[in-house]
Amino acid sequence: MNIIVCIKQVPDSTQVKVDPKTGTLIRAGVPSILNPYDHYALEKALAIKARTGAKVTVLSMGPNQAVAVLRLALALGADEGVLLSDRAFAGSDTWATAYALATAVKKIGQYDLILCGQMAIDGDTAQTGPEMAYHLNIPQITFCDSVDSDGQRVVVKKLIEGGHQMMEADLPVLITTTMPVDYVAKYPSFMAAHKAQDKQIFIWTAADIGADVHKLGLEGSPTRVSRIFPPPARQKGEMISGSAEEMAAKFVEILKKESFVK
Amino acid sequence: MAKNDLTTRNLMLDSLKQYAKNRLSHEFIREHDAKNEIPLEILKEMYDHDVLGVHLLLIPEEYGGLGGQTTEIYRVCEQLARIDLGIATGVFATFLGSDPINVGGTPEQKAKWFKKIAHENKLVAYGATEADAGSDLVSLRTRADRVEQNGQIVGYKITGSKMWISNGGVADIYTVLALAPGGPSWFIVERGTPGFTQDAHEDKHGIRLSNTAGLAFDEVYVPAENLIGLEEGKGFLQAQAVFGYTRLMVAAFGLGGGEQAVETALQYAQQRIQAGGPLAQKQGFMLKLITPHYVRFEAARAYIDWTAKQLEVNNHGLATEGAIAKLYATESGNKAAEDAIQAMGGFGYTKEFAVEKIKRDVKITCIYEGTSEVLEMTIFRGRWQEHLKSRGQFYIKQAEEFEALHAQHPDVGADSVALGFRALARVLEDCRLQKLTRHQYITFMLGDLISEAEVAAVFAKQCAEGKVTEGSRFDLNSLKVMSRVNARLSAFKIATEGMKLILGVGAAPAQELSQAVNLVGIEEKMTGLIEDEDLVSAKLREIFKA
Amino acid sequence: MIQVSEKCVGCGKCVSTCPFGALSLVNRKAVPNASCTMCGACVSVCPVKALSLPAQGAVKKDLSAYKGVWAFIEITDDGKSQKVRPVGFELLTKGRELADQLGEELAAVVIGDGVEKYFAELSSYGADKIYSVSSPAYHDYNTLAYTNAMVTLIKKYNPSVVLFPSTYIGRDLSPRISAELFVGLTADCTGLSIADGLLIQTRPAFGGNIMADIKCPDYRPQMSTVRPNVFKKVVTRPGSMAQVVSEVIGVPAQAGKVRIMSKYFDEVGAQEKLDEAEVVIAGGRGMKDAAGFGLLGQLAEQLGGAVGASRAAIDLGLLPKEKQVGQSGVTVAAKLYIACGISGAVQHIVGMEHSDVIIGVNKDANAPIFNVCKYGFVGDARQLLPKVVDAIKRAKAK
Repeated sequence: MNIIVCIKQVPDSTQVKVDPKTGTLIRAGVPSILNPYDHYALEKALAIKARTGAKVTVLSMGPNQAVAVLRLALALGADEGVLLSDRAFAGSDTWATAYALATAVKKIGQYDLILCGQMAIDGDTAQTGPEMAYHLNIPQITFCDSVDSDGQRVVVKKLIEGGHQMMEADLPVLITTTMPVDYVAKYPSFMAAHKAQDKQIFIWTAADIGADVHKLGLEGSPTRVSRIFPPPARQKGEMISGSAEEMAAKFVEILKKESFVK
Repeated sequence: MAKNDLTTRNLMLDSLKQYAKNRLSHEFIREHDAKNEIPLEILKEMYDHDVLGVHLLLIPEEYGGLGGQTTEIYRVCEQLARIDLGIATGVFATFLGSDPINVGGTPEQKAKWFKKIAHENKLVAYGATEADAGSDLVSLRTRADRVEQNGQIVGYKITGSKMWISNGGVADIYTVLALAPGGPSWFIVERGTPGFTQDAHEDKHGIRLSNTAGLAFDEVYVPAENLIGLEEGKGFLQAQAVFGYTRLMVAAFGLGGGEQAVETALQYAQQRIQAGGPLAQKQGFMLKLITPHYVRFEAARAYIDWTAKQLEVNNHGLATEGAIAKLYATESGNKAAEDAIQAMGGFGYTKEFAVEKIKRDVKITCIYEGTSEVLEMTIFRGRWQEHLKSRGQFYIKQAEEFEALHAQHPDVGADSVALGFRALARVLEDCRLQKLTRHQYITFMLGDLISEAEVAAVFAKQCAEGKVTEGSRFDLNSLKVMSRVNARLSAFKIATEGMKLILGVGAAPAQELSQAVNLVGIEEKMTGLIEDEDLVSAKLREIFKA
Repeated sequence: MIQVSEKCVGCGKCVSTCPFGALSLVNRKAVPNASCTMCGACVSVCPVKALSLPAQGAVKKDLSAYKGVWAFIEITDDGKSQKVRPVGFELLTKGRELADQLGEELAAVVIGDGVEKYFAELSSYGADKIYSVSSPAYHDYNTLAYTNAMVTLIKKYNPSVVLFPSTYIGRDLSPRISAELFVGLTADCTGLSIADGLLIQTRPAFGGNIMADIKCPDYRPQMSTVRPNVFKKVVTRPGSMAQVVSEVIGVPAQAGKVRIMSKYFDEVGAQEKLDEAEVVIAGGRGMKDAAGFGLLGQLAEQLGGAVGASRAAIDLGLLPKEKQVGQSGVTVAAKLYIACGISGAVQHIVGMEHSDVIIGVNKDANAPIFNVCKYGFVGDARQLLPKVVDAIKRAKAK
């Protein structure tokens, strides 16, 4: 069985700050991490590997520094990594990203199961997985919080409105994973980190995967950012300060006035 | 297998950070600090090969370790110190305790003991210090008497005692320095050997999560094969061979502890609103209590990293550089922790925040592995020789090099570094002419000034070469600003302190001396200093957001 | 990389605007570096129009053939019965506005089993037309079956705008369609409007405190997803009946490769359902710990509300992810929203600003949360809330 896990390097969102004056992101010194949803997807793939002996390939697209997340994946137990890195990919929206990743998957060739985190925490779109599945002409199941496979088919627990459903699918299929509330990401031991250096990471350009350049980068991206602006200023409401007792009294007075306390 | 690359190092550090985040809460550490108790289960877990296997860093690859390079070991030390210096000390004791085997052991000894440490996750302790023999090992009292059979030495009986041994009460394997007939020698002693007992755990000011205990040896028999290197009298050389290296690790402790304290205070100050704005926005607050410390941390980081890279090429030695790194980084870390408490006011003084604990912890870094005063002396001796040998040209040459560097890279403070070197050369020469180094105080202070000058020089040079020290969170431009600040302050300190010493102990016309060290030239460089410091403050606020 | 022309005067506006720190001034000229993602954020701020994205080589399609605004209507299932998910009405209400501006038709698209029963209600929310695909084969949502149906309809009728709910189903379906049609798709829009005949899709961008307008000038249809509760639902045409276009579309064989084995529905009290709650008490990092969140629970109990949290508090593990209010969580439109210890990042604000009465409690008088509050209390919520709870109890006892 061959599993491909798509992963992304993202800024550690809990540490991304916004400049209060300009409203822009402060990226200085913000560490990069493996997108947590992808981290979980990878762990699911490795659990399947442990049971079935599947080969796990990790695939990412990004600048050369993104090698760091591939190395993390290899240290955790993935077998080999592929990084798509080329200026031709810059400016890609989810459509072009999905096209590039799917084209790379075709070059990798052998696959039965593709796992993706449901979304990246720096974009929150949740589009790339389903779009890849289309390009590969395989079915998809999104928002799964458990995934299991015996090498013949896959069984998942998929979240739906107000609950969940158990589903099964024939291979090949693409699964996107959500993350359990209490998920604590695994990190490799020092020795595993050390040994991961000997595993192969292929760095591929657009030409290497034989992608149609008109479907990459800016040209392959239907969406355009036409304007960026700070959120509209609003009128402040009534401000109340004072001792906790005074404020509590005022609080209840307001609740009564607005008829939330009768 | 290849040596670890930067990506691998960062991966290890991430794993360590995550481990601490998941397992070592402030409450957990605070509780053990209060109880004065080593969390032995944590040390064992950190040694677990599937969790971290942190001790494997020090074990060569051929014995099942991962043969860590100096750079990754110091960076792990820095990160450990950020988590807790007591735990860091417990891990470090194994590193240190294994070192005599690494330096002096025969291939058979290495195979036997390293495999044991690697696979059985043994804790090691380094047994050198005695009541009368600290850094000065000459007064060693513990004896190792030969046990002979048929004219053959079959073993030794060790008698004596050791004190303040980290991991003393909990280690499985001890490397013990004792005086054999052929001279000081290292022996491997296992826990449980008859006659070998451990004293009660010390009640310490800080690093209370590390176990510190005395050791007692009453005719403890060890077979001859436990004599490291199978040759008596090599003990001092083996001990000194690793000083450059071990002191670098403690330097990283000082750096890590200090950073953690200042960052905690800064994050607090970003939230603390005073007179209509966050404390961290106040210039006075930053320039007095925060910014200068971080400038010194980046200088220390550059110097530690530079020394580490040198040690990787030339495995041992660099005793002076190791001493400079440790003196500079630990004294900076200690002072920074003190100011971190001040910066947080009443909160800093309570145990709810970690800074008061860090302050107690980090003090040890100025004491163990050579007190600051021993280091000042070591540094002074090392460089005094150079000064004499070169007929006073040692620092003049370096000044010329930095003048040339300044012409190429005018934005790293190389001009001030050069002025500092010239002032230092002049102070040393005056000390020689007036024979002032007979005063012990002068030798201490010269050691301190030398370390100021050399750290500033390495920092400026790294910036000029466009190097962002690994582990730094700043960009090159910010580091250049910091280097400018650091070089100016260091030159000023060398000139004014140097003058104070010469005028205070010896005799010289103040005016003439002031011209000789070019005090006015150094002062002129102060233009724009506060502006640069404000830039650093702004960058600090940006990086260490609440 | 972004292109900088001779016109650049080195004012530096683009440098501070760039969300990726990819621009800097070198010799008084803006210079992009490798971090540039060509997002185009800088182009619009340049006062001298010196910045531009590289020209696109794509062949322009004839876009005039695409007309009409569509809203995909999701049918929801609670294990007992099916009904229209209310977000469909919200999309129709917004869609009506867009269609009027464009001078085009508004259509509801509904796929399911026995969907005729929804037609009257869908019509009352302003639909001119209803495209329906109804068959027992569509009783349960299936990605490939629904994608095939939607793609068939879109190819046949060429709408210019298609709106989807940003729900488990909408987020599964819409990207699959956009990939197949090679069109843009903007996720989780918080604003939709028309300018120069184009759909302007507004959403918070780059995870930060900044908004972006996104358009798809050269591709049709223009597609967006919108979270429940972002737009109001208004019955604009009571009693009217839309023109119904029923289509029969078969389910592709491939759809059978994915099968539902069983469904489970959580037993959730109405009080706990954040997106439907009338009163929401939300906490942020300022609530510090579980004890702090306990106070929120006590207040919620007194007011009959649900407890939610900001992303910061979710990241601290104080509440499960499904309780997150904001752009990447649940959007609420409560009658009363009380934000405690939440500073008010845009990504949170967009998830709660449509609530009727918003009360904020924060230590920092300058916290952005106060900009959307009707009432702002400057103080520590951890100290204030116990007193408020006591006061409410006393008030009730009277």
